[in-house]
Amino acid sequence: MDGDTLSRVFREESGRALATVARMVGDLSLAEDAVQEAFAEAIRSWPDSGVPNNPGAWITTVARNRALDRLRRESLRGDKEHDAARLVPPPDEEEVWPVRDDQLRLMFTCCHPALSSESQVALTLRLVAGLRPAEIARLFLAPEPTVSQRLSRAKAKIRTAGIPFRVPPDHLLPERTPQVLACIYLVFTEGYSATSGDTAIRDELCEEALRLGRLLCELMPDEGEAWALMALMLFHDSRRAQRTDAAGDLVPLECQDRRRWDRAKIEEGVVCLRAARRRGGGPYSAQATIAAAHATAPNWEATDWGTVVAGYDELAAYGDSPAVRLNHAVAVSFRDSPDAGLAEVDALAGEPRLARTHTLHATRADLLRRAGRPAEASVEYRAAIGLAANEPTRRFLTRRLTEVDGETAARQIRPRG
Amino acid sequence: MYYLALLAGEKNATEWGPDSPEFAVAMGRHQASWDGAGSALVGGGALYPSAEAATIRNEDGRALITDGPFAETAEVIGGFYVLEGSDLDEVLEHARRIPEASEGSVELWPMFEWMAVTDQKGCWLALLREPVGAAVSPGTPQWDEGMAEHEQFGRVAGSAVRGGGALYPPDSATTIRVRDGELLLTDGPFAETAEVANGLYVLAADDRESAIALAAKIPVSPKGCIELRQIVADAE
Repeated sequence: MDGDTLSRVFREESGRALATVARMVGDLSLAEDAVQEAFAEAIRSWPDSGVPNNPGAWITTVARNRALDRLRRESLRGDKEHDAARLVPPPDEEEVWPVRDDQLRLMFTCCHPALSSESQVALTLRLVAGLRPAEIARLFLAPEPTVSQRLSRAKAKIRTAGIPFRVPPDHLLPERTPQVLACIYLVFTEGYSATSGDTAIRDELCEEALRLGRLLCELMPDEGEAWALMALMLFHDSRRAQRTDAAGDLVPLECQDRRRWDRAKIEEGVVCLRAARRRGGGPYSAQATIAAAHATAPNWEATDWGTVVAGYDELAAYGDSPAVRLNHAVAVSFRDSPDAGLAEVDALAGEPRLARTHTLHATRADLLRRAGRPAEASVEYRAAIGLAANEPTRRFLTRRLTEVDGETAARQIRPRG
Repeated sequence: MYYLALLAGEKNATEWGPDSPEFAVAMGRHQASWDGAGSALVGGGALYPSAEAATIRNEDGRALITDGPFAETAEVIGGFYVLEGSDLDEVLEHARRIPEASEGSVELWPMFEWMAVTDQKGCWLALLREPVGAAVSPGTPQWDEGMAEHEQFGRVAGSAVRGGGALYPPDSATTIRVRDGELLLTDGPFAETAEVANGLYVLAADDRESAIALAAKIPVSPKGCIELRQIVADAE
C-alpha cells in the first residue's frame, strides 16, 4: 500500500464515513476526530493486513467504534450526561453501508442558510468532500488559519445553534435546495476554472461536484434545477481536458478539438437537461440550455446562436447582471453581426461591476477584431491585459494582441508596397 | 433547546404606548402568530417604548446611567420571546411568523440556560449587552467566573429575579428577515449593532428607580451595559 492509495481512499471514503458516524453520534467534531483516528489506524494496520475489500466500510466501522468508545468514556466520568443519551446500541454491520442518505443529510447541514455562504462551501469541501483545511485554503487563495477558524466557528454554530443533521422536510426544500445547488456548483467551478493549485485537486473537485450532483438528483428526482445543474456540469465537464493546451494556456471554445470532447458526458447532459425542462425552468436550466447549444454543435460556426441568445434572455429574467448582458452581446454578435454585439457591449461601458475586470475590454477587443477594426482592438487588448488577473488569460490576450498588431502593420505596409 | 428571539423594529414603531391603537393592532398580529406555535412559546413580552428605558453602563467599574437604549442603533428592541424546540429549524418555523421578521428583524440566540419566568407582572427586562468580540464561551474559566458573579447577584436580588438566561456567543446567533414571504437568514446578530446581547434577566421592581438600582448590581463585562426595559403586563 502506498501513500497514493491511502490518499485516494481518504478522498473517496472520508465524507461518507463522516456522514454516517455524525448521524450516529450527532456530533460533527466527534465524528471528524473518529474518522481521523480510523485513518491513522488504517496507516498502521493496512501495510500488514492489506487494503480491505471495502475500505469505506472498514473506515466507517472503526470510526464509529472509536466515537462510541469516547462517548462511553466521557459518560463514565459523569460530566457529560447528555452525551450518554446519544449512546445508541451499535447497529448491524449492514446498516453501516450504504450511506448515501447520510451524505445528503450532511450536505443540507453544511449548506444551512443560517451559515454564511463561505462557511457553507468550506464545510462541504471539508466534511462531504474530505479536503484538508490547507487544500481548501489553497483553492480559495485564503490563509490556512482563516479557513481553519471559519471551519471551527461553523461547526461550533451547528452544535450550539442546533442546526439539525437531516434533510429538511418537503415544505422547506424549495428554499433550502438553492443553497445546496449553489454550493455544489461552486465546488465544480473551483475545480473547473481554478488556475492555481495542482491538477489532481482540480479534477477531484469536478468529480466530487458531479458525484454530489448525481446524489442530489437521486434524492430529489422532482427537483428540475438539480437535473439542470447536473446537465450544466456535464456539458462543461465534457470538455474539461480540452480547455487548456499542453502549455496550460486556455483554449477558447471555438478553437477546441470537438472530436475529443467526452460524448458520453454530453449525451448524459442532454438526458438530464430534458429531465430538467420537463420539471420547469430556472437559472440552471437556462445556463444548461446555453451549454447544450455549444456542446451539441458540430462546429463553432454551426452553433445554434438563436438558442444561445434566448438562453441568456431567460437567464436575465431570473436575475439581470452585467455578466449576463455581456454574454448576451457576444451571442448576438454571432447570431447577427459583430457590430450588433458591439452596440450591446457599448451600453455596458459605465457598468461599475465590470470596471475592474478584464472581461469588458477583452470582449470589446474580440468584437472589434472580428469587425475588421484591428487598431481599435489593439487598444482594448492592451487594457484587458493590464486588468487580467491570471497568467494564462494574460498569455491568451497577448497572443491575440500580437495578431491584431500584425494585421494593423500589414495594412499600413500594403498601401505603400 | 431554548432560543431567545429579540424583536427589532424601526425606532419610531416602538414609540407607541401600550394604550395606543397601534399597540393593540401589533398585539393582535402577535397573537395571530402564536397560533400554531404550540409548546414552542415558553416566555416573552412586549416592551414599553424605548424613551422610558434606561441604560446602565459599566465604566471602569462604575455604573453610568443614561436614558433610553444605546443611541446609535437604527433598530430598537420592541419585545422578546423565548422559544423552545429540538433544533433551529423547528424554532425558525415559528420565528418567521413573528411580525417583526417582516418589518424589522428578529435575532435568534441559542440560550446556554434559561430560567422560566413565573410571573412578569410589574417586571423589567434587563438585557445584558457587551461589545462585539468580548464574548466568552461556556466552559471557559472566564465564563465560570462570570457565572459565579451572577450567582452572587441572584443571592442579592432574591425573589426579585423572576427569570433569566445566558446566551451562547454571537457566532451562534442568526438574524431573521422575511421579505415578500421569503425567509432571509444572516449568520450572526444584526450587523450594525455595536453591542451584542449576552444574557437577560426578568426583574420585579415597584418603579423605575428601584429597577435601575437592582439592575446596577448585575455584573457586566468592562464596557458592557444593561438595557433596562419595562415589560407590558399581560392583559388581566
